[in-house]
Amino acid sequence: MISFTWLSSFRYTDKPGDTDPQQWNEINGYIKITQDNTIKILNPNPEFGQNVMTSLPMIVAEELDVDWEKVVVEMGPHDSVKLGPQFTGGSNSLRMYWKPLREAGAAARQMLIEATAKTWAVPVEEVTTKAGMLYHEKSGKSGTYGEFASKATGIPVPKGVKLKDPKDFKIVRNSKKNVEGLKIVTGKPLFGLDYKHEGMLIAMIEHPPAFGMKFKSFDASETLKMPGIKDVFSLKMYEDDFEQAGFDTRTFNDLLVVVGKTTWEVMNARKKLKVTWEPVSDTKDIIAGFGRKREVIVPAGLESTDTHLEKMKEYASKPAQELRKDGDPETAFKNAAQIIERTYNAPFLAHNCMEPMNFFAHVTDDKALLVGPLQAPGWTEPTLSKVLKLPPEKIEIQMTRMGGGFGLRAYGHYLVEAALISRQAKAPIKLVYSREDDMTYGIYRPMYTATYRAALDANKNLVAFHVKGGGIPENAIHPNRFPAGAVDNYLAEGWAIPSNITIGAFRAPRSNFNAAAEQSFLDELAETMGKDPIDLRLELLQRAKQNPVGKNNEYDADRYAGVLKLVKEKSGWNNPENKKYKRGVAAYFCHNSYVAHVVDMVERNGQPYVERGFSAVDCGIVVNPDAATNMVQGAVVDGIGNALYGGLTHKDGAAVQKNFSQYRIIRFHEAPKKIEVHFVQNDIDPTGLGEPPFPPVFGAVANALYQSTGKRFYNQPFISQLKELSKA
Amino acid sequence: MGKRYFLPKKTLFVIGALLIFLSIVMSGFERKPAFDKGESQRDSVTSVNAFMKVYQVLMSPRCMNCHPSGNVPLQGDDNHLHTMLPQRGKDGKGVYAMKCANCHQPENTPGLHTPPGNPNWHLPPADMKMVFQGKTPHELAKQLVDPKRNGQKNMAKLIEHADDGLVLSGWNPGEGRTLPPMSHDEFKKYWLAWIKNGAYAPAP
Amino acid sequence: MVTLNINNKTYNLEVDAATPLLWVLRDVIGLVGTKYGCGVAQCGACVVHLNGEAVRSCVTKVSRAVGQKVITIEGLSEKNDHPLQKAWLELDVPQCGYCQSGQIMSAAVLLRENKNPTDEDIDAAMAGNICRCGTYLRIRKAIHLAADIQQKTKNG
Repeated sequence: MISFTWLSSFRYTDKPGDTDPQQWNEINGYIKITQDNTIKILNPNPEFGQNVMTSLPMIVAEELDVDWEKVVVEMGPHDSVKLGPQFTGGSNSLRMYWKPLREAGAAARQMLIEATAKTWAVPVEEVTTKAGMLYHEKSGKSGTYGEFASKATGIPVPKGVKLKDPKDFKIVRNSKKNVEGLKIVTGKPLFGLDYKHEGMLIAMIEHPPAFGMKFKSFDASETLKMPGIKDVFSLKMYEDDFEQAGFDTRTFNDLLVVVGKTTWEVMNARKKLKVTWEPVSDTKDIIAGFGRKREVIVPAGLESTDTHLEKMKEYASKPAQELRKDGDPETAFKNAAQIIERTYNAPFLAHNCMEPMNFFAHVTDDKALLVGPLQAPGWTEPTLSKVLKLPPEKIEIQMTRMGGGFGLRAYGHYLVEAALISRQAKAPIKLVYSREDDMTYGIYRPMYTATYRAALDANKNLVAFHVKGGGIPENAIHPNRFPAGAVDNYLAEGWAIPSNITIGAFRAPRSNFNAAAEQSFLDELAETMGKDPIDLRLELLQRAKQNPVGKNNEYDADRYAGVLKLVKEKSGWNNPENKKYKRGVAAYFCHNSYVAHVVDMVERNGQPYVERGFSAVDCGIVVNPDAATNMVQGAVVDGIGNALYGGLTHKDGAAVQKNFSQYRIIRFHEAPKKIEVHFVQNDIDPTGLGEPPFPPVFGAVANALYQSTGKRFYNQPFISQLKELSKA
Repeated sequence: MGKRYFLPKKTLFVIGALLIFLSIVMSGFERKPAFDKGESQRDSVTSVNAFMKVYQVLMSPRCMNCHPSGNVPLQGDDNHLHTMLPQRGKDGKGVYAMKCANCHQPENTPGLHTPPGNPNWHLPPADMKMVFQGKTPHELAKQLVDPKRNGQKNMAKLIEHADDGLVLSGWNPGEGRTLPPMSHDEFKKYWLAWIKNGAYAPAP
Repeated sequence: MVTLNINNKTYNLEVDAATPLLWVLRDVIGLVGTKYGCGVAQCGACVVHLNGEAVRSCVTKVSRAVGQKVITIEGLSEKNDHPLQKAWLELDVPQCGYCQSGQIMSAAVLLRENKNPTDEDIDAAMAGNICRCGTYLRIRKAIHLAADIQQKTKNG
């Protein structure tokens, strides 16, 4: 059921009457056409800056054969039957929707052709299209898609329609402007926090001051006296035996809620709450996602970063779980002429989307309407259904534009919170998290460590490679990634320390640490072996291609080498003109794409500064080149910022950093002046781009810092060591 | 009688007396601040000792952070460069979209790590930076009494300055900020003692 | 009762004079172009023009705006044709877009006071506006382009 009610608040065009369902002829879930030839394409996947709102409709428009400038784009409702899985995450949107959208566009075009052929009583093969028009050359007849749209809806959806040859693409592979650009620069309501609903109240949750705590009792007498305040109550999020699915993470289960008329009034009133908190004992979470059920003990305790670090050192020296073994690494290390061992560390990271968490919910006894920023409606709807005891058909989720996601908005806990609050308050409410609430709530990128060892023989050949990685509460090891497959003797091990600090996917989970550690290690290895860092990688990749070690090597050695070669060329890696730059290189494969970066550091005011960068990317067909460039540039800036400054620490369970004054985000003047992005040109179906450019930035920065300072940087955030160096 | 150009003895006496009287009165004005109720101590030891106390306050974060040696204010008890690097600008009030008053309100903003406030929040202007950071007691004392380097203040103005609005705001810095090392009353006491005893600079 | 002049319109509102201007704009008047990012003047998403100056509305009490002229992103230009808006669209600057109102409002003060800003001028003006998506390079380019557009519009 496609609901049009929300369209009136968020109108994407100013055309009168475009909200009237009668006018739109729905050819399929993605395409609606009016009689006067207005083409509307629905975007299935929620937008958080990765440009899908523009790129996905471009794919439809290409096969449909319409004039892109005349297309109207709209965010689709949550409807998995008509619009597919609608999961924004894992750099999956273009990859998952490439074929289905092409087929939808091509099928719709075919239906229009057939409807036209029927009407004109001409053979189907003789009808052609061009930019929203239909033609029969022989008779000179022509008409718009609009004229035949209603008839087309009656044609059965054809199967196996022929798709275009990529060399005939007119829209895809051509840069198109962000369809919401004008709205963004003129301040139109777009984001969840902007959404308004008749009679809406604001709710905020008074979270415990630390992980491992819950509220014991509260006195809201002062709060209730504050202007604009309607109610204060507590509620439980999940029942004790609740089975959590894949994205059901939540930090606090007992919620203390303040409801009022406006955001400021609620923010103020919260300060007057008198709450006592108590520590939580060990709790048992039942995780039942991805086809298996298990119990996880969430440990009690008020955890601190210094104890985390101590524990990690302790665990690192204990035996770990073997994740992959090739050859005989133990013997190889025993017989090695030289062993290099290095340990890398990285802290928890907070996502810090610019738009803090929020969601609107209006829940009554028989239905629920939820509107806001969310990456994965399909994951949260079943949870809502269970928690609210409403069938999925009665739950409507509408996705607004998101002010950033980075993985955090895949976890729908804040929808469940909003829905429960609305039901208890018996009113439509918008749940709002302050920046402090958002930053201290958890669902962080885990804390990681990894020790790498390499064994060299007397001729400085690499004979064995060993990585032992750990983390709180999980390790980052991808055992089947490069350089597995390139080294005869290989061992990957992992361990984990349980914690009550909640974690979640953060832009290239695990990879975002691996590429830092592994790519730094390879740099140091290259230096020890007397090789150029790019050459070493290319040699290893050559080995992985020609004579791979072991099975399940998770990468294509050619494509991996391809981006290294491209970045080497485009950055003028060996050009003596570039000697003034302190250069760092790194490459990584994740989420099906390959990226290599060279970052060029200079000294500025006594501090190292990445002045420029070069990026080589293989993500298959690039649907919207300029937007893709924007993504890669953004990922480089994001990577530099997190590598240098990012870090969330804890003291007695409490997050130490609560706002941007304490959690440092990379700023304007700290970003490079230029980042040149080059895409490998091939016709491979699109793979991902949101995440792949991010991880290798960390490694490239560490390697450039070595060239800049003569010191290796093993611990993120790198600013700590930089500060030490400037004191010395 | 009858000698036209000779001053008679009586006139000489009167003129002489007038001159003596004038010189006594004028010596009363020479180099003494207007407030001076006849205390003219000019005690360099007391003055210098008092200044060493004053120096502690002026070099503490709440004062020194707005008297930086560079063109970016300092921040925090560790005097790091102010986040976002706001620039002094010509008039000390910042530039473009980062003028001091863009964030610093007429009064303190409630909460931790929010901008402290004052209606006149600014750094010294570019042509008279009144730097404290990096100054020795000798250098600072000399600078403070030099009208060419202290904002055209004479001694009277210097004394008033102890109660200047921005100076006072150092003792009302907003939640979570350390106060200067002594109370404003104590500071003022030492400030006056320094000045009234001759505003001597400690030895270099 | 507080009387405000926002985007050349007068509003008479029953709000506590200590309410930050940001929340009056967003919750009371309904102008949501100005964004909430941090509430402590760190991120710049809330920048509006108060008598032409780029104040952070999250810490600016509405009482400070009484009797003054406030312009928000919605009122920056009548026909959506401020040189910055044009440049932003020309260079396809935004990714998620959440920070961009604040970026544009900050840049507007720069361009008004400096017709030909250098990269250092741009750094000095914009270092207070955070972008988590990393569009800083594009913003820099767009400011240079807007300066050009501004120059041409004056001359043309």
